[in-house]
Amino acid sequence: MAQIDIRNVQKFFGQHQVLKNLNLTIEDGEFVVMLGQSGGGKTTALRAIAGLETVTSGKILINGTEVQDRKAADRDIAFVFQSFSLYPHMTVRENIAFPLRAVRMNAADRDKAVSEVAETLQIAEHLNRKPSALSGGDMQRVAIGRALVRRPQALLMDEPLGVLDAKLREQMRAEIKRLHIARGSTSVYVTHDQIEAMSLADRIVILHDGVLQQVGPPDEVYLHPTNLFVAKFVGSPVMNVNAVRLEGNSVVINGASQGFHFPDQMLGHARSTAGEMTLGVRPEAVLLSHQPSDGFVEAVTTNIEPLGSHDIVDVRLGDTVLRARTESAFVSGEGQKVWARIDPSQAHFFDTATGLNLRGAN
Amino acid sequence: MAGVRTPREILTNRVAIVAVFVALAIMLTPIYWIASTSFKPRNLATTIPPTVVFEPTVSPFVKLFTKRSQLREQPTQEEYDAAPWWEQMVFDGGEKVVRNRRSGEVTMSGYGDRFTNSLIISIVSTVLAVSMGTLTAYGFSRFKVAGEDDWLFFILSTRMLPPVVVAIPMFLMYRVVGLNDTHLGLIILYTAFNLSFAVWIMKGFIDEIPREYEEAALVDGYTRMQAFFKVVLPEALTGMAATAVFCFITAWNEYAFALIMTNRNAQTAPPYIPSQVGSGLPDWTVIAAGTLLFLIPVAIFTFLLRNHLLRGMSFGAIRK
Ligand SMILES: Nc1ncnc2c1ncn2[C@@H]1O[C@H](COP(=O)(O)OP(=O)(O)O)[C@@H](O)[C@H]1O
Ligand SMILES: [Mg+2]
Repeated sequence: MAQIDIRNVQKFFGQHQVLKNLNLTIEDGEFVVMLGQSGGGKTTALRAIAGLETVTSGKILINGTEVQDRKAADRDIAFVFQSFSLYPHMTVRENIAFPLRAVRMNAADRDKAVSEVAETLQIAEHLNRKPSALSGGDMQRVAIGRALVRRPQALLMDEPLGVLDAKLREQMRAEIKRLHIARGSTSVYVTHDQIEAMSLADRIVILHDGVLQQVGPPDEVYLHPTNLFVAKFVGSPVMNVNAVRLEGNSVVINGASQGFHFPDQMLGHARSTAGEMTLGVRPEAVLLSHQPSDGFVEAVTTNIEPLGSHDIVDVRLGDTVLRARTESAFVSGEGQKVWARIDPSQAHFFDTATGLNLRGAN
Repeated sequence: MAGVRTPREILTNRVAIVAVFVALAIMLTPIYWIASTSFKPRNLATTIPPTVVFEPTVSPFVKLFTKRSQLREQPTQEEYDAAPWWEQMVFDGGEKVVRNRRSGEVTMSGYGDRFTNSLIISIVSTVLAVSMGTLTAYGFSRFKVAGEDDWLFFILSTRMLPPVVVAIPMFLMYRVVGLNDTHLGLIILYTAFNLSFAVWIMKGFIDEIPREYEEAALVDGYTRMQAFFKVVLPEALTGMAATAVFCFITAWNEYAFALIMTNRNAQTAPPYIPSQVGSGLPDWTVIAAGTLLFLIPVAIFTFLLRNHLLRGMSFGAIRK
């Protein structure tokens, strides 16, 4: 097992800079998820760690040793690709044993290691089949098995569940988590699916346009996004993001007729900026009520998404719309008059120009 | 899917089947002609109208492999009876088998040697063209090569000139370096012919093999070379088989250069077979027999690789 250290890494493809001064330390035994939109540089970062891609400048250290100039074969790292990495001409057994042949392990030990991994991943009954005879989920199980079999320093996975359907993805997610807990291997997992990231990660690394946006445990990234990109990217349904202005202690969404009252101490950071401001509130921080009461402003429901365990309700205030999360059947239909409030403790103010969270370090 | 077919579909299907059989009949006629002629007695080979029903004989094949001369006088009954069955066939045709004066051994014709030459030259040049072509294609497919497109176009452009155009200069150069009438000479020539084709076809196949295959091998501790042999090559076999068939057929059938560059030592079968027409009255049955045997290796080769070919000819290597 290993610690991975990425220091000031830059990567250019021709003129196009894909990784911009990346710094990240992945601790021994940690499960780190790189999250971001497609094209953000996640795959490139992962491939750079594996040695499948060179870095333009900067250092990559594994257990304190610089490896950026070493070949992939000499880094003792395993990689699970999104697809197409099982050799069609080999059986499942041969596929899993393939990395062990590279280190010339003897046949008896090899068989033992393969059986053990196959057992763990519940693919023992497929060992003599060809990959083409497997389901998508089993193929990825085999790919993970092949990665784990030689007990590498670290396990890198690039959207390993990306091609699977939703149900299977959820199941495999749990298996990967279980496997990580059992094996404790240092893992870096790339995905664009924030739910996958939240459920798997010890720490989430959010990468956008080659720039690291935020690193932190899932709840921290969710509760304290450092900037607008993270705030909008993490969480489903997405955070309400609206341009606002301050009128005394009242936060007024541009286009709305009435503002929300915020306690003074919640506005300190917001007051400190002179520029345009954006308010971010997650749907669960938008509270609805059937009666007018203190701090609530009048609104009209426009759209309801019943999701079983809860509903997502769109409410109109003046010219703007907020999404709220309510218990099931809290409102019965569109066009209903309700009263809305924002929970100040769950509100985020962002500097519109820079996108930075005005709460600063919290 | 075994859906119900409309009468219209059934009709279209029948028409298609009939069309296939008609086309097949037209294409197989020359082969039938060659095959039947090679089993005919000489006097039935050129009848008008053609003889369809006859008693087959292997005498054309006996004559194909032996050296013969015209009988000046009929053999005595004793001589005839003492001769083996195949020599009697030659006597029956008004010829006799040439034997060594002292040892009495039968003198063989040149056909066997020419046939062997054809095999050696075609196989070696095919192996060379396919292996060099595969390596080159792999390089172009996987690495950044400066001026890649220009190089590929240059490689293709070597095929734009009809090869015969350069036959005379080639002949002169070959004579200077002592390559004419050598196996090596023809092997180099045919390898060069086929190489550009092999590079282009193999590039198509290798481009289709996902890089992840090799990359998985690279992170698993293999070198680039090992990854190529253990992972890429098995996936490229289908393409290599298809390419090999094309290269083999080209080399096997090549006539013009073989005619110009070789005369005895390294001569292949294609220029040899028609050269037999020239000596005396042409014996079409012998030529037919030589041609029929000449067709067999390509048929065997294609048959052996048929499973690869079915997939390979559609120029898609990987079932995704
Ligand atoms: N081999 C390459 N050559 C040129 N550009 C590349 C190459 N690989 C990736 N890129 C570019 O780098 C950017 C980041 O790609 P990638 O790392 O695959 O992002 P992600 O995995 O987050 O979707 C994209 O704009 C992509 O087009
Ligand atoms: Mg990617």
